Amino acid sequence: MPAHSQTRDSSTEQQTAVYVYGILPADTDIEPGTAGVGDEPGEVRLIRHRDLAAMVSDVRIDKPLGRPEDLTGHEELLDSAARDLPVLPLRFGAVVTDDEAVTSELLQPHYDEFAGALDELDGRTEYVVKGRYDERTLIREVLAENKDAAALSEQVMGRDQDATRDARIQLGEILGNAISAKREEDTRSLGDALAGHVVASAVRPPTHELDAVYTAFLVETSEEPELERALERLARDWEGRVELTLMGPLAAYDFVATIEPGT
Amino acid sequence: MTTAIQSGGGSLSRPQSSGLADVLDTILDKGLVIDAYVRVSLVGIELLTIDARVVIASVDTYLRFAEAVDRLDISQDKEGLPGLVGNMQEGGAKHKTKGALDAAGDKLREFASDGQGERAPRRSRREGN
Repeated sequence: MPAHSQTRDSSTEQQTAVYVYGILPADTDIEPGTAGVGDEPGEVRLIRHRDLAAMVSDVRIDKPLGRPEDLTGHEELLDSAARDLPVLPLRFGAVVTDDEAVTSELLQPHYDEFAGALDELDGRTEYVVKGRYDERTLIREVLAENKDAAALSEQVMGRDQDATRDARIQLGEILGNAISAKREEDTRSLGDALAGHVVASAVRPPTHELDAVYTAFLVETSEEPELERALERLARDWEGRVELTLMGPLAAYDFVATIEPGT
Repeated sequence: MTTAIQSGGGSLSRPQSSGLADVLDTILDKGLVIDAYVRVSLVGIELLTIDARVVIASVDTYLRFAEAVDRLDISQDKEGLPGLVGNMQEGGAKHKTKGALDAAGDKLREFASDGQGERAPRRSRREGN
């Protein structure tokens, strides 16, 4: 591996730096020719220190990072590694000056933490469960349960939007609050439904008004079929009400910062 | 690519790869933060990041929910809802509801295509319901 000696003060020169994807055990190989992130992407490679390795590639520092293909590239590289190995994923955008810095400032001083975290993750991967409410079913449900909302809906339905604006806002607010309450309840139900099959869970904030559930789970690889069956049962229970999606296996993005012994 | 596992009713979908919106949620504010570890050699590379995926209740949100109630109206004849008087006259209320997620996706595509975007070295993300 060529070391990239940087002369950062000569700003006219085209420069590269080292993009770091994550930390993984050293006894692995990257398929040759795997392209990394960035414009004119460098080849993905490993920088090893004892039994740890950083997955890296060179990037130009005069080009911004963050195009859609950079973002998906970052995740795909980590997820594909995580299918076979424990991986500590770094947040998108970690760039250090050179190979030497990866070893001397990242791998070496944090060897114990990284090695310990990789042990914790061994045989475990992340799955993310996302559920989206069916708008119609959800609103029917709320109107059936909430007399105020039902009364307001009769006032506004099919009427001129401007003339009924105040009632609409009031109705929308009741619906919004009711949806938040349902989201909390359904998030709990999801957690209960999977409780026997997961090591840990982390609820993500909703990113859409109609998000029903959005939770990351750390799962023993051997439990995956059970996890899927439990979710299928839940999907049946929620048929027509919540559309469920299971994403994974993924690198343990939601758990690396909070891994503690015994979790 | 989505594989739907049909199992007598509700289906669980298993996408083969994460959509961009999911990727954003996953890698932009999850994962180890390297600047907590590396003090000297972190390179301040410019990041095109997106500050979009926020769910905040607002008057607009409320009005959208109310519009969704209007849309409910047109399907009433089919499924019926006790206690609600169907009023069909303006049933076709504008179908302009657009979720924050989709809007964010559009925005991202836009800046992806012209190479420009919101340039913020740090993503500040407000969260709320």
